[in-house]
Amino acid sequence: MTSTSNLAPTASSNLSRTVPAKADDVRSRGEPFTWLLGGALALGCLMIAGLLALVVWNGFVTFIPKPIEVLTENSGAISAGERVRQESFRPAPDVVAKLSATARENVAGNGGYATRFLIKTGNFDLYGEDFKWVADFDVATRSLPRDMVLVERMEWGPLIGRLIGMTVDGTSVAVTDIADPRFVDAHRAARDRWRKIADLERDDIGGINARIEQERLELRSIELSEGRGSESYRRAAVTYESVAAALAKDHQRSTAEAAALVDTNKGFTATFADAQGTSKTVALDAIVRLYAANDLSWFDKIAIYLARWWEFLSDDPREANTEGGVWPALFGTFTMTLLMVVAVAPFGIVTALYLREYARQGRFVAFVRICVNNLAGVPSIVYGVFGLGFFAYLVGGTIDEVFFQERLPSPTFGTGGLLWSSLTLALLTVPVVIVATEEALSAVPRSIREASLACGASKWQTIKYVVLPRAMPGILTGIILAMARGAGEVAPLMLVGVVKLAPALPIDGTFPFIHLERSFMHLGFHIYDVGFQSRNSEAGKPMVFVTTMLLMTVVFGMNLAAILIRNRLKTRFATAAF
Amino acid sequence: MLKMMSSFTVLATALATGPASAVDVDPSIPAYSKSSGVDGSLKSMGSDTLNNLMTLWAEGFMGQYPNVKIEIEGKGSGTAPPALISGTAQFGPMSRPMRPTEIDDFEKKWGYKPTAFRNAVDALAVFVHKDNPIKCLSLEQLDQIFSKTRKRGAKSDVTTWGQVGVTGEWAATAVSMYGRNSASGTYGYFKETALANGDYKDTVKEQPGSSAVVQAVASDKSAIGYSGIGYRTADVKAVAISNETGGECFDPSPETAYAGDYPITRFLYTYVNKNPGRTLEPLRAEFIKYVLSKDGQEGVIKDGYYPLPAAVVDEDLAVLGLKAGS
Repeated sequence: MTSTSNLAPTASSNLSRTVPAKADDVRSRGEPFTWLLGGALALGCLMIAGLLALVVWNGFVTFIPKPIEVLTENSGAISAGERVRQESFRPAPDVVAKLSATARENVAGNGGYATRFLIKTGNFDLYGEDFKWVADFDVATRSLPRDMVLVERMEWGPLIGRLIGMTVDGTSVAVTDIADPRFVDAHRAARDRWRKIADLERDDIGGINARIEQERLELRSIELSEGRGSESYRRAAVTYESVAAALAKDHQRSTAEAAALVDTNKGFTATFADAQGTSKTVALDAIVRLYAANDLSWFDKIAIYLARWWEFLSDDPREANTEGGVWPALFGTFTMTLLMVVAVAPFGIVTALYLREYARQGRFVAFVRICVNNLAGVPSIVYGVFGLGFFAYLVGGTIDEVFFQERLPSPTFGTGGLLWSSLTLALLTVPVVIVATEEALSAVPRSIREASLACGASKWQTIKYVVLPRAMPGILTGIILAMARGAGEVAPLMLVGVVKLAPALPIDGTFPFIHLERSFMHLGFHIYDVGFQSRNSEAGKPMVFVTTMLLMTVVFGMNLAAILIRNRLKTRFATAAF
Repeated sequence: MLKMMSSFTVLATALATGPASAVDVDPSIPAYSKSSGVDGSLKSMGSDTLNNLMTLWAEGFMGQYPNVKIEIEGKGSGTAPPALISGTAQFGPMSRPMRPTEIDDFEKKWGYKPTAFRNAVDALAVFVHKDNPIKCLSLEQLDQIFSKTRKRGAKSDVTTWGQVGVTGEWAATAVSMYGRNSASGTYGYFKETALANGDYKDTVKEQPGSSAVVQAVASDKSAIGYSGIGYRTADVKAVAISNETGGECFDPSPETAYAGDYPITRFLYTYVNKNPGRTLEPLRAEFIKYVLSKDGQEGVIKDGYYPLPAAVVDEDLAVLGLKAGS
């Protein structure tokens, strides 16, 4: 109600509205509305804050090391694991009937309800299950042994047990304490060798392979353009042979070096026995991290917590994305969003400039404006379908036929990829930029434009030196909104380039460094994948929260950066104006 | 060989020779031996049931050959044939055999039929909430619960747990059904075997993924849903299934699956575009060999499915013109 009076100077037609006779009436009638509006705002804030709190809380606690409980059940079964959560339930009558008298009384005293908790037992390779529900009344004894170790492995998920021995270079050594320097040193050395192998394989051997492939493609393109019988092809083939032979020799040397390290690592293992006594031998280089969960100081806990965060942010995912890190997804999200901004900003601003400054305002322009506004309401998956059909298949297919003929039939640009994803999202968010830019342009007072024109500036000069600088903060707001929307969008990306597992980052050290045609991983899709596609949804849940928190942090961070830039621009133009 | 064995009776004969006890890879399947000169990139597109398994294999394979690049997409078995036909993907994992129309489409483009090899054995599990006292359901009862046409011949509809023999407070509880979306091979397979090709009820809540079905069942006490056995969690219970009401019930387990006793057992497949006149190039050949090796089949166990018996592995390798361990 009160806002109409603020708008009055610009909207002259409002003046004709009937004004109530007594001001008191308005205020008393307006009061409930104030409460309603304020209440709606409070409710909205509360819901957002609740959601954020849920995600942030669950995200923060995920990596905290938890104690390992060893439970002996009445039946004699022993299980060990971290407690995940608990719930109360009503045991079935036949179960209650079998209980001891005291347990039965306890259950009856609780109105027929008992408590049970879910423990993460790990050891999936030994028993085919990694979570277990245990009812309170089933537990005979509970202990927290100090020598219980949680082992995070490269494969099969966590192992929970006691260290009972190890081998160093093939000979067994009696070590039962993971803090024993012999064990610690051997573990560190094995992991170092493992890292060295990874480096060798990725950088050295990978680089050699990439060069061989490049040479082969060059030869193939000469073959395509000149023909197999031509003189230049024959010359190129000879060069290719000699280069390939030299590279093959390098390849062999690096491979042999890596193989030697792999062989060395085979001699270093650790053997663990789980709570029931079953033993399991693990190669030392396959142990990412291990700790005695019930014997940790505060300092150890913080160190493990931080190390896990670092692993999460900087490592590749393992075990079908349920473990390890999200670095490729983080990188993919960031790159894709930046590329999208690069595409959407100029396009949106130019469109809005023409619509607002040059086009004759009339029915046609009004119609175009309605269309733009409606575009913002089209479901995002429709953009995905369009992106796949138009960008990937049509444009990409044509690019492949013209420029990448030597690689056909495997498509280069003719399938989903980083570029097409960015462009599709740019299309999706362009209405936001257009609308915001138009608003910002129309907010520049007419008097200022007229002053500029009166001084003899041309229309373009006026726009460039007077209108655009004044409108810039508003335009940037539009871009920020577009970025926020684009970074969180998943549905269209699933069609145009986001994959569950992308083997290489879109930017790396091989020529031409930025690979716009590559598929990529995305945090939003990662959340969907881990949450709804992983084998054990229980195990994936913590990862979902952490990844969600990370995605929100990325979006928040990018917005913050844009806002800071906007504020700098604001002050710059404010001073430049005078 | 392209007549893919889809009925479980055929499966039973094929698997009768398989390992009989706990989940372990058949010892006569050799470990994978690395060969040289393998690099390039591969793309797999297809089943969501096989999505994790493909990822595990890709991780393992890339561990052997760090310069191979494998991309995985899994949106449903129905997406595999178009991807193979257009050449976008080299592998098309499917949780059901290709339909004749899909094979025809492929043949129209390439002039020969696609070739399949079996990846794993999946006992399609029927999950209920962990507190649900139900012990066993027959195929006919599943039909009554899930189908509106009841092609298996039952007269009455089942809407409450009491109607399938649960007593006490559960008797009056309405059954809440969860299933997969129609692009899924699991949807098609369940329809074919359990519903005898009848139609699903409109009240079956379709979920976007196998794991989503399990999560839905975990959070809804009166729920029932079908999904691959690999997606079982501690919050759900896999019900034993019998062929006839009152007949012997079989828990989904490696033994019952290999013996063909568990009625809704199936193979999981991967399709490739192989010209019958030519041998596969090294990259694809090595990947297939990896999948059908001891290492690859360990991945199957890791993902919760059952590994293939050696007889099946040998048969499929022969069809593809490959030899294990060479």
